[in-house]
Amino acid sequence: MRIIIFAIPVVQITVFGLALSNEIKNVRLALYAAPTDALAQDLHRRALASGWFRPAEGNDPDPVGTVRAGRADAALVAPAETLDRALARGEGRLQLLVDATNATKARVVENYVQALLARTLRDRLGRGPAAPVAFDVRVLYNPTLTTSHYLVPGVMGLILTLVTILLTSMSMARERELGTFETLVAAPVARWEIFIGKTLPYVILGMADVPLVLAVGVLGFRVPFRGPLWAVGLAALVFVCTTVAIGTLISTFAKNQQQAMMGGFLFLFPAIQLSGVMAPLENIPAAVVPFSWLNPLRFFVTLMRHLMLKGTIGSLYWTNLGALALLALGAGAWSVHRFRRTTA
Amino acid sequence: MIFRRPWFHAGRARAVAKKEIHHVLRDPFVLAMALGVPVFLVVFFGYVLDFDVKRIALTVVDHDQTRASRELVDLFSSAAYFRPRPPEAGRTPLESLEEGRAKAALFIEPGFGGRLADGVPTRVQIVLDGSDNQTTGVVGSYLGGLQRAAARRASGATPGRNVELRTRFLFNPELNSRWFIVTGLFVVAVGVLSILLTALTVAREWETGSMELLLSTPVRPLEIILGKLAPYMGLCLGAVALVYAAARLAFGVPFRGNHLVFLLACVLFLACTLAQGLLISVVTRQQQLAMQLSNITGLLPATLLSGFIFPVESMPLFFRVLTSLLPPRWFIDCCRGIFLKGAGLRELAVPLGALTLIATGLILLATKKFKRDLEP
Repeated sequence: MRIIIFAIPVVQITVFGLALSNEIKNVRLALYAAPTDALAQDLHRRALASGWFRPAEGNDPDPVGTVRAGRADAALVAPAETLDRALARGEGRLQLLVDATNATKARVVENYVQALLARTLRDRLGRGPAAPVAFDVRVLYNPTLTTSHYLVPGVMGLILTLVTILLTSMSMARERELGTFETLVAAPVARWEIFIGKTLPYVILGMADVPLVLAVGVLGFRVPFRGPLWAVGLAALVFVCTTVAIGTLISTFAKNQQQAMMGGFLFLFPAIQLSGVMAPLENIPAAVVPFSWLNPLRFFVTLMRHLMLKGTIGSLYWTNLGALALLALGAGAWSVHRFRRTTA
Repeated sequence: MIFRRPWFHAGRARAVAKKEIHHVLRDPFVLAMALGVPVFLVVFFGYVLDFDVKRIALTVVDHDQTRASRELVDLFSSAAYFRPRPPEAGRTPLESLEEGRAKAALFIEPGFGGRLADGVPTRVQIVLDGSDNQTTGVVGSYLGGLQRAAARRASGATPGRNVELRTRFLFNPELNSRWFIVTGLFVVAVGVLSILLTALTVAREWETGSMELLLSTPVRPLEIILGKLAPYMGLCLGAVALVYAAARLAFGVPFRGNHLVFLLACVLFLACTLAQGLLISVVTRQQQLAMQLSNITGLLPATLLSGFIFPVESMPLFFRVLTSLLPPRWFIDCCRGIFLKGAGLRELAVPLGALTLIATGLILLATKKFKRDLEP
């Protein structure tokens, strides 16, 4: 058990921090052009040199078949008369077939090819910077768009939730299964004292994980840490209290450990999906938005990203922290109430 | 007296299976979870999750105020990706970004329209909030298209000597990201739930002491393992059928492949995840620990490392190899291949082979680890 609480979070944050990336890389690109087609060959060469593309596997005469069989993610099909000649006639047309099962990726691949094509043509036709309007894009807070910088604060929230919810949601159910819960209730302690006594150890355990994952994030992944330490500590404390309270609440509803486990899963799955780590929060349909206000993870991920990358303490910090505190109080009060009902 | 029992006897496995079915039927909560939860998760999150970043709050600072600058702003709003609005009162555009009230800002310098009319190349500045993960990357890919559109509008018709790129989006011409999400969610929901279902079964028998009873009977480990797997396999296939119906009816996900191939892939995948749950349960013998382990090896890897959202091919080589040990990673390939591309046995040989290997390995390992001694 000790290994699970201390070693696994460190392993997890390392694995996910290293492995996950939003960048679309290693796209397998097949080229269907005559070997004499200098322009198409040049474009393909540049694509491979850009680092975004890899050559396709195998050699299938049918471009669509290659993509269907998963040997290529995209195929460039040049006209039969060669692209050079078509360009000279003034109607160069190049076809790009993209596997669009992943729509986001398909759009990115199209953009890559567009950009490469524009650069190839500019070099070949010797035209100056012809674009009349250029966008000068500046990315704040994470200028190199390093994936781990925005992913690690989010994954930290996921891991803390997983550990605390799973531990607490089963604790009470186990006592009920083993029959020790009755003994506890018969003892001369108040309900809220049982609640505090049962949850406090888990809050401490959860908080012990915070410096561990923070250290991996900051030292291992060089995620900037721009906010004050006390603000991160306070946010983590309120968050761990919230998840422990929710875990206890789940526990009061479960008759046995299997039910507690299913209940924990029923909470975790939506919480992870609606946290903003997987998909942007802005896209949540209006009808579902109220549900996401019940998700402590959503507030914590926002807080951590804000504290680590931007580092200011403003209205955003206090509103999110306040929302977490409200959730903690609500879940805590409800579980104490449930104690009374289930044992009286 | 020493007598030899055959290594495997179907009748005894059937008896264990029958016992397990009674366990499941006696607990309607688990039954409802197993059948209802995957459908609910897929329908709900298929509806909620959306990777097409839309309605991005864009603060527009237009110091030019000419027709050309307004046309540029129109271009941003017409794409429906952006929601342009004037700077907030009392806040600079950068402060709005800082507090997360806007995700991007567009600055148009005075003289933009004039320079454009004179044919002098001009620049506008766009500032993005880089602390938000997906959004920034996706916005970047929109900007490419918008810039080309703006340039085309400014220079009139495209100049003669140019190559036009015609993109054909195969299998999903309308770029409906829902199809991608629903097929992935399917795998995650069914996969995690099936691990959870079996993870507790052996651990529970050790905790309640009924394992000692079971061991005193002449059943062998492989019979117990297979006997415990079979009922849950049936239950999970029922859940798969429900999810399949939901995906087709609620989201209109096309099914272009062969149903028998799909069934084969499902059986192989479920054999993997159910065996994984059993293995955890056999090794830990404790429900709380079993649950921790199944969530650690099930939930997060299935959501993050399977290719559900973060593409496997973008991972470093070491992790591409590591993910090949994860059943969901292969089953997602099968699912998307069969549903969206109409892939058959030949195209799916690698994923199906990998699933077979993992399933056999896990079942053998669970059998081997199944110690008959009472002391842990």
